[in-house]
Parts: sequence; structure tokens; C-alpha cells
Amino acid sequence: MQLKLGWKLRALREASGLTQAELARVLGIENRQSLGLIEAGSRKMSAEELVRAIEFFEIPIDEFATPFVVSPESRFSWRQEGVANADLVRFEQQAGEWLAAWLELAQATGFDIAPIRQRLSLTRSSSFEDAASAGEHIAASWELGPVPAKVLPQAVESRLNALVLMVDALPGISGAACRLPTVDAILINRCEPDYRRNFDLAHEVFHVMTWESMPPEHIDGASPTNRRVEQLADSFASGLLMPASVLRDYDENSPDLASQIAEAAAELNVSGTALRWRLASAGKISQDVARSLPADELRNGRSKRVEAPPALYSKKFMEILARGIAEGHISVARTAKLARTNIDELADLFCVHEVTCPFEL
Amino acid sequence: MSPLNARPILVDTNVILEAHRCRCWNPLVGGLQVETVEMCIAEAYTGQQRRRDQLIIDPGALRKSFHSVHAVSKSITAGIALLDGPALDIGERELWAHAFHRQDAWVLCGPDAASMRFGYIHGFRDRMISLEELLRSVGSRIPPDLRLHYKAAWLRELFAKFALETK
Repeated sequence: MQLKLGWKLRALREASGLTQAELARVLGIENRQSLGLIEAGSRKMSAEELVRAIEFFEIPIDEFATPFVVSPESRFSWRQEGVANADLVRFEQQAGEWLAAWLELAQATGFDIAPIRQRLSLTRSSSFEDAASAGEHIAASWELGPVPAKVLPQAVESRLNALVLMVDALPGISGAACRLPTVDAILINRCEPDYRRNFDLAHEVFHVMTWESMPPEHIDGASPTNRRVEQLADSFASGLLMPASVLRDYDENSPDLASQIAEAAAELNVSGTALRWRLASAGKISQDVARSLPADELRNGRSKRVEAPPALYSKKFMEILARGIAEGHISVARTAKLARTNIDELADLFCVHEVTCPFEL
Repeated sequence: MSPLNARPILVDTNVILEAHRCRCWNPLVGGLQVETVEMCIAEAYTGQQRRRDQLIIDPGALRKSFHSVHAVSKSITAGIALLDGPALDIGERELWAHAFHRQDAWVLCGPDAASMRFGYIHGFRDRMISLEELLRSVGSRIPPDLRLHYKAAWLRELFAKFALETK
């Protein structure tokens, strides 16, 4: 607990722009060195110091003294547009809590969480074709079948031993790749349309598999220098979701070519636009023809009915929560708060994921 | 050990709600010295129950039915928050913080495995009790729809599991 308190204190101090010496003075701690020891988990924080800290930072005690805090080495890379920095910071804290809880409970219940860090042999100077080929190779070696998008979340969880969480994110946030020292995770905004969710997931898989060679930025594409990495990630995603083996041949002269592509895209759970460019890069249609296809017709294959978003989180996540509750490592009420549900909705969530509900209260 | 009716019985939010749902609250508070903390009583009020179907509970009557409702200071709650152990919700943590602070022969009733683990690892195995057992102690009928986690057998089994872990 002391280590987690230290991490939390450090995160709050850094977010406030305070030095260790300044915060030590505020909290009545002897000196900067002592605060450093608390942040490193080497010196215990007293109850009085904790009270002064929650009063100074104006946060509830259960938010401060939580065992579910990610280590300072954890990294997030967000795919977002137009989200205010303060909102993103808050959401990142929430995301960190989900991941830290999963990690903590998995360890407490003896679940193997060691990520399988399969690397892609790509660099910044790789071509977009190489990136797409790498995506195709993964689709084949993971045996994703004729509609890779359908099975990709489960495949990522099993092949990389990573966590793929469907979450209710702020509007504007599509998803994130997350790297904790002992967990890789991908968050996807479940409220986005299915084709976008699928493309985001495939894009984030690229980041997870190239984190060391091409570390993604905190905000995807924020700096022009990293733009190429994002383009490589998009090419990889195209190859992964639309490998050559599932691409049909098309008659470029057909008057309803755009509609045919739109229908094929709907079957593959990708957007018509994404399939159009994939067909062009795979040489199935020419770049000129691809450019000439009307965007509105490419959208025609999409079902008009509004589909319910996928269930929150994932089965793998819920299984660990269930074990944590059953073995008494987290209370039901605390789990409901973590999952942002009430207690009955939490029970429903276990049911939806076909995980036996671990409580009857 | 003194009989249950001579000891303070600390109950959490879940117990308050289950006893109301099963209509056994009155015999419970009529026969025992039932106490709680401010956070747990607040969580039991209609609208705050974190359940889909809200029980209609009159706040004034609920408060009056307790022998005592304790305010827990920030520093007492902070002391508990610094301890290792399972992750508890704020009401559960406040109840334990209050219990740790007391010197008398309190008994705690809660249906959550994590809350019970918290008490178990801090040496309070003999201070925890099920709602079913409390109802028996006052001679009340056991409601047929009493949920699993409020039963004596569930608590016994849980403690047996904890005991096996520590061997």
C-alpha cells in the first residue's frame, strides 16, 4: 500500500507542478528527501500526513488511498481528437485504475498475466507496403479467418496475453495503447461505430507490437515527426483487417463498383473508404479508379440500424474481477465503483460475458 | 464471551438493505444493540443504494432505529486506508476504521468476502457474524429469501478458505 500511495502522491505532485521540497513543506514532512522516500514507497506515510495530503489536493480519501494505481513507468498513447487536456488526464487516471486493478487482482489470484511481447520487425524507414504485409502476416499466423475484425479482440488477448477493454470513453477519444511494466493493454471506445473500433484496435496493435522501436506519442500524431509512425500503423491495420486472401477481384468498369466495395466492406466490418484504399494498394483497382469512387456510395453497405455497442470491458477482465471478488481481494461495492456500474449492473455484466457472478447479495 | 444482545453489533450498508428487503430489520434492531457509521447509513438511503431497484427507506426512521450511528474522523479513516489488505469501498472501510478504534466487545456483520478478509487478516475472525446468526440470536424467523452471503454457512465456508490459504 505504501508504494501505491507513493506513486499516487508523485502523480498528484507532478500534475500540480510542485517540487518535492514545496510539497514536503505543505504536508509538514521534514524535508525533500523524506518526501522522495515516501514517493518511492520506502518510508511510511502517517495518517496525519495522509489527511493533510487529501485536504491539500482536495480529493476523497478512497481516491487517494487506492491500491489501484499504475506505476510511474506506465505509458499511454491516445488516439483522440479535440479532447481537452484536463479531461484526458482525468480519463487516463480512470484507465490506469482499470488496468492497475486487473493487474493487482490477477496477481492476488495467481493468474498468469505476463505479456507475450511479439515484435514486428519494422522501423520508421519501413515502407507502407512492408507495414501492410506485416499486418497480413499477423492475420495469417493468428488464423483470423475470413473476417479478421470479428475475432481480433479475442486474438489480441490470447496471442499477446494483452488486455483489450471496450470502454465508455469521452467523445473524441477513439482508444489508446497502454504499456505497463507487466501488462500491455488496448482501450477502445465502444460507442464508436464498429468499423472505426476495428480499425482503431488494429492500429493500436501496431503500437503495442512496435513500442520499443517506434514508441508512440502520448497523443497520436501530435508532432509531425511521428506522423510516419501513425501512417505505418494505419497501413498495418489495413493489412491486418483486409489481408489479400480475403480481397476479391473487381471489374473497374462496373457501374456499381462503389456499391460492391461498400458491401464487401460491411462484410469485413471495415469502412468502404478503408477498403477502397486497401484495394488500390493491393493492386486490385487502380489509384485513379479508387479516387473516383463517390464517398457516399462507399457508405451504402453499412446497415442503417443502430447497433448496440459491445459489452463493457472484456471477458478476460471480468474473469479476474470475479476471482478477486470471490476470493475476497476486492469488495463488490468497490468493484461496482471501479466498473462504473451499480451492483445489479455489475451482476449483469458478469452474465453478459458468461462469467459466473461471484456474489449473491 | 458475553451474549450477543449485550454487545454492540456493527452492520454495513448491505446488511441494512438486505434486512429491509427481507423485512427482518425490526426484530434485528429490537433485539440487539445495532450500530453503524455515517457513511453506511448514507449509502442505505433511497436513491443512494447503488442498486437498480431502490428500497423505500425513511431516513429519519432508519437513523432512529439504530442504537448509535458513529461519525468517523478523517484521521481514523486514514489510519485504516494505510493498511494493506483487500480493496474496500468507502462505507466498508469506514465501518472497519470505527471498529478498529473501539475498545469494547463489538461484533461486525457484513456479507462481503473482501470485508470479511479484511477483518480476518487483522485478527478479528471471532468478531464477524452472519445476518442469519444474528436473527437466530433474537429468535426471529429466517426469511426464506435471505440471500446466500448473509447465511452462516457462507461465512463458515469463507473462513475455511481463508484458513487454508494461511497454512
